Amino acid sequence: MFGKNNKTPLPPKKKEEIPYVKEGIKFKDWKAKNGSGHKWRTIRWTVLIGINLLFVLSFMFDLSLLEGSLSGSRLFGFYLMDPFNSLQMLIISAYSGHIKLLTMNFIIGFATIFIFYFLMGGRTFCSWICPYHFLAEWGEKLHNYLVKKKKIKEHTYNIYLRYVFWVGFLVLAFVTQQLVFEDVNPVGILSRAMIYGPGLVLLWILALITFEIVYSKRFWCRYVCPVGATWSMVGKLSPFGVKFDLDKCAHCLDCQKVCLVPHELWFVEKGKATDKRHDVGSDCTRCGLCIDACPGNALSYTIKGWDKIL
Amino acid sequence: MDKSDHELNRRQFLKSSAIAVGALAAVGAGVGYLQKVTAENRINQKFLRPPGAIDESTFIYGCIKCGLCVQICPIQAIKLAGIKDGLAYGTPYIDVREQACDFSCDSMQCVETCPTAVLYFKQFKDEGEKAIEKYDKTHERNADYNPFPVQILAMKSIVKMGMAEVKKDSCLAFQGKGFKGTPRGSNFKGVNRSPYTGDAKATPVSEKVYDEKICDICVKECPIGETAIVMADNGHGNMVPEVLSGCTGCGVCVMVCPTEEPSIIVEPIKS
Repeated sequence: MFGKNNKTPLPPKKKEEIPYVKEGIKFKDWKAKNGSGHKWRTIRWTVLIGINLLFVLSFMFDLSLLEGSLSGSRLFGFYLMDPFNSLQMLIISAYSGHIKLLTMNFIIGFATIFIFYFLMGGRTFCSWICPYHFLAEWGEKLHNYLVKKKKIKEHTYNIYLRYVFWVGFLVLAFVTQQLVFEDVNPVGILSRAMIYGPGLVLLWILALITFEIVYSKRFWCRYVCPVGATWSMVGKLSPFGVKFDLDKCAHCLDCQKVCLVPHELWFVEKGKATDKRHDVGSDCTRCGLCIDACPGNALSYTIKGWDKIL
Repeated sequence: MDKSDHELNRRQFLKSSAIAVGALAAVGAGVGYLQKVTAENRINQKFLRPPGAIDESTFIYGCIKCGLCVQICPIQAIKLAGIKDGLAYGTPYIDVREQACDFSCDSMQCVETCPTAVLYFKQFKDEGEKAIEKYDKTHERNADYNPFPVQILAMKSIVKMGMAEVKKDSCLAFQGKGFKGTPRGSNFKGVNRSPYTGDAKATPVSEKVYDEKICDICVKECPIGETAIVMADNGHGNMVPEVLSGCTGCGVCVMVCPTEEPSIIVEPIKS
């Protein structure tokens, strides 16, 4: 479908080409030998908690490091703006004439964050910064456990649904002349709750996470969130990403099991890869779970174009 | 993937898209409804917006709820509204009875920091520059050259958060009464930079002690001065506070009013 190219797959690897066969050991031993740590997950959670803590501490102790919240902030006095908020704002204000009043800081903030996440891979924001992601990641674990125990059934939808929501929320913003999405945006709500103190609006977050745990895995992040959808589009041509090296792969599918967006790792299945090397698509959150999980180091972070030169 | 799979996928997508569009329409209708029923309340809001706020009916769409104005205010006068305020959730307001805006920052930084210009800074900047130009014409650039006070005064004077209103029934001055002591008690947390005591920085209201024959604390503490509020004869021989057109609606008078319920309130600007 959309993400995949229409090339014919390479023929499946012969037995002697499988990494552990090459090394002359059994699959189990090979897996044990290379082990699977939680290096990137530890780093990522540290960054996620650190950034959000920096927001909280900046306000609590008046530190002027990272002021504001995730919908708009100042890093050492330098503005950063949430892209979907900015888009809504542009659409509303273009209609009402307020666009002439928008500050240079708004434009700087919008452009900066756009360029930064273009370089860093778009949805990198989701797994490395977003506080709702952190909750949902634990929710996903719980959900998987419940599915495994056969307590609940899995419900999946088409991931392109989120573009329907993306357009829909922009249309809503235009029609109602309100930043409608910001009223239901768990990123902003959680960020504000942490920085300025909690409120009743957290019940909405509770409802969302409960729905994700008992009904559909990562429902908000996968099928609704227009912030993620924006990042996904920003990250389409990002240089920073995860690459896949077919020669090192033993098709154990451990990476797909841990992946937060498994459809992006379609090429790890036996006989699916069309090239010796694949770069994951724009839905990838660059979380690094697959890199931690892969026993053959077939998956690794890369800067497209650069790794050939270096 | 064969053709029937494609067809099935397409159908599923269309089905869930239809649900999504339905959900969005529901949200839209909900917002539209809230907008209608709360519009009156929002215009007649009980709380004040920070200085420089654009028209209330349009303020709400432009505020991205980032809270930068909350963070930059040195006296924490600005707060974010809760969910009970409906669509105004997350937008900034000033509760003047608890902590009024006393302009002690001397720079309108809450307005300047607003990235979406719903707190509109350019008007203040222009006014300040005009004042400096005027000052330049009458002052030599010598050691005493300091246009800053006139600049900030000019900026302050065009703030229009609301308009103060004296409640004659409960105001002490209208009853010819004086006031002795600390207006809001010793546990009150609010601060202001008092023109009365002449402090350089904002100090707690709870530290201030008054002894007035006729209560005129609101007049003495007003950061704008005699263009905003004065003591005037009410025609019955009583000197009472009178609000003038220079009032910015900053609410310091409300904060320092010693009566149980404030005898002076600020009505937000309705445009």
